[in-house]
Amino acid sequence: MSRPDGEARQGISIRGVTKRYGSTIALSGVDLELYAGEVLGIAGPNGAGKSTLIRVIAGEERPDGGELTFDGAPWSPFTDWQAVAVVHQEPQLFPNLTVAENMLVGREGASRLRPGLGQADARVMEALGIGHLRDRLLSDCSLATQQRTEIARAVARASRVFLFDEPNSALTADESNELFREMHKIAADGRIVLLVTHRLEDLVAHCSRVAIVRDGSVRAILEGEALTEEGIARQMVVDSGAVHGKAAKSAAQTAAQPVFSVKNWTHDRAFRDVSLDGSAGEIIALVGVEGSGSRELIRSFAGLEHCTGAITIAGEGGEHAIDAMSAYVPATRQLSLYSNFSVGENLLARLGSPQIAGFGLTLRTRRMKEMAEVAVKHFLVKTRTTTQPIRSLSGGNQQKVAIAQALHCDPKLLLLEEPTRGVDIHSKAEIYRLLRDYAERGNVVIMLCTETLEVYEAADRVHVVANGKVSPGLAVGDYDHVEQLATDITRLESESRERMPKAG
Amino acid sequence: MSSSEVGQHAESKRGSSAAKATIDAALRVGGLFLAVIVVAMVFVAINPNFANPNLAVSVLRAMSSVAIMAMGLTLVIVVGEIDLSFGAMYGLAANTLAVVWILMGVSVYAAIPIAILVAICVGLFNGLLVTSMKIPSFIVTLGSYNLLYGLSLWVSNTGTFNPNYPPPDGNVDPGELNFFIGLTQNVGKYSLSVEIFWMLGIAAVIGFLLHRSLFGFRLMAIGGNPEAGRLARLPVRKYKVLAFILCSVLAAIAGILDFSFIQTSQPDIGLSQTFPVFAAVIIGGASLSGGKGTIVGTLGGALLLAELQIGLALLSPGPHVQQIFLGAVTIGAVALDLFLTKLRKSRAS
Repeated sequence: MSRPDGEARQGISIRGVTKRYGSTIALSGVDLELYAGEVLGIAGPNGAGKSTLIRVIAGEERPDGGELTFDGAPWSPFTDWQAVAVVHQEPQLFPNLTVAENMLVGREGASRLRPGLGQADARVMEALGIGHLRDRLLSDCSLATQQRTEIARAVARASRVFLFDEPNSALTADESNELFREMHKIAADGRIVLLVTHRLEDLVAHCSRVAIVRDGSVRAILEGEALTEEGIARQMVVDSGAVHGKAAKSAAQTAAQPVFSVKNWTHDRAFRDVSLDGSAGEIIALVGVEGSGSRELIRSFAGLEHCTGAITIAGEGGEHAIDAMSAYVPATRQLSLYSNFSVGENLLARLGSPQIAGFGLTLRTRRMKEMAEVAVKHFLVKTRTTTQPIRSLSGGNQQKVAIAQALHCDPKLLLLEEPTRGVDIHSKAEIYRLLRDYAERGNVVIMLCTETLEVYEAADRVHVVANGKVSPGLAVGDYDHVEQLATDITRLESESRERMPKAG
Repeated sequence: MSSSEVGQHAESKRGSSAAKATIDAALRVGGLFLAVIVVAMVFVAINPNFANPNLAVSVLRAMSSVAIMAMGLTLVIVVGEIDLSFGAMYGLAANTLAVVWILMGVSVYAAIPIAILVAICVGLFNGLLVTSMKIPSFIVTLGSYNLLYGLSLWVSNTGTFNPNYPPPDGNVDPGELNFFIGLTQNVGKYSLSVEIFWMLGIAAVIGFLLHRSLFGFRLMAIGGNPEAGRLARLPVRKYKVLAFILCSVLAAIAGILDFSFIQTSQPDIGLSQTFPVFAAVIIGGASLSGGKGTIVGTLGGALLLAELQIGLALLSPGPHVQQIFLGAVTIGAVALDLFLTKLRKSRAS
């Protein structure tokens, strides 16, 4: 550690790192400097290579090319994984062991059958304020304590790099303040700290620099004056030029009869008194981070969360309307596709009698085959046959199957969570077109988005969900540039935060 | 994450994977019946006297009650649950029938439906505890296994019953006795037991249910991804309860048919059937993680086991050999299955 303080600061230097999965390029030459003693933020839209970069630094993934050096010497986190500690959104610990035992896992020495806590360990735990909880089962501890245990574990094993991956998305305001205090302490000790989060305000408040990852490389590094929420939001959405599927907005929408409306829609903890309308042909985007109530809101429209209030879909009200006329597509394909089924069976999995079954619930196999073939053509699913396993399709095509599966129920209200997560650009445009087609046939589409670009390209109207409240809508058609939209969404988000500074 | 990784490799092998799923299933069943033939040939090679139709008929008879229970268990396993209680249900059905009919003097035509009704209640009990109270099915049915055996001991007062020799205060109508024995009597030149036709008939019904009806389609979907089923608002709970009820009812039918064939009921009959039935289902290719299983496969598994059981009994090297084979074949079949799957995957990529 006593290198001469010359031209290079101490830390990790990443040079030209590349990583590809099959034909997909995840990282195309990343250059990044991580300095000891600072907190570096990493931001970027989903699927831009951010998570791959994090996995490379954490040693979970071996890069295909490029080099990493640590304090000037070649370094491979893949073999030196002990040096890197990752603090996850959901702590990767052992809930069935006590806090103290969790500290010791992986350190069982040859000397004793059961290792005990050393003086150093106890000091670390005291410093993090979990000393008095040492004999408590981890599963009985709060999430904040669990994260602190994870940090303590890393500090005790002398990790030099700390990677906080969406660490506070499930914490209360007080707990996250605590967490960030610990984070700064770690940095002050001369360690390298990375913060990855979707919450722009945290990046601005806690990082000295923020690297924006887009299209597989670091496109910008914001620091000092340039480091603002708006600045990051703009950088995240700068149009790469590859997609511009922004659909023509139909102007007559406002005059149309609302197909969907909720009033005083209240959930017992996630949101209160929500009112929302949707007209035929409209695509509505909801934007909200984890814990804002947005996920519960969209799931409640599908009858998956219990709520009170009035809901009307196509003139009918109550649970019957939800059951008969809404369909929901979860964010991950693991929650909508059946891996033991073929492509065709997946397309039809939500149907019942009379669509695919006739007298005595006999499956109408010939009709099923025809329907599956029609659906494959209509939804542009690239597959050779309808009988091949669903897993043989690419991610984008699997996503089309997941959406088609829901559309087969002919819902008046289609609910989607992150409809293009992990989908290539080409499929993305096709999915937006399918949604637009569907909406234009007199239906309403509501989607939960985490990316402003998605809102800009696919939606007519966007509402921000924060602290269980839904903001007034922004008409996407009024914006000529996605950057302006991103700025306004960020503004709405921070406004509702200020209105209600501390909501659990 | 895994699905997207699979997706990225997909472009290259898309062509070959087209009809693979169906071919795989066919190979699996084909391989099983090949094993049945090979085992038969080995037995005949050891002792040429084994090549006679009477022996084949007794193998079929021996497999039938196992197969009937195994088909019920297949439904439960396909939907991603476990039932350990069917063996005890088999015994409870036989004992209920014996007591209600022989001891209490209720007509056999009413006593059989009563035994089936008991099975429906047991299935409902298992199913509701699993779906409503979210107790793992392993635990629920482990409990009901003991519970049902306890009930069998209680209703039978730990006694043995035979309708041909009713107790002094009981009375069995000869016509009813003939009907009951007729349920599984031997017919034809090779004295084929009617129980075999019961098995085939039930196989046709359950095969239709699982592979050709909406019920089976959804059962497979729910077993493959229960969370997706719930989010898509499929009737997950109802289907799980129905699977448990069918499993119990089929076990009761097997118990009643075997009672008719053996004509003696004991409180503990059926208990020892539990694990051979599981073995038949597993050898038949069903996956304990759900979403996978066929009726033809299960029948093949039951056939292979019955064949080994009777062949080894006749060679009479001792009872230990049958047990050792049962264990080895169960593990071997699954190991072979996994090995072949891995081999095929590595060749594909």
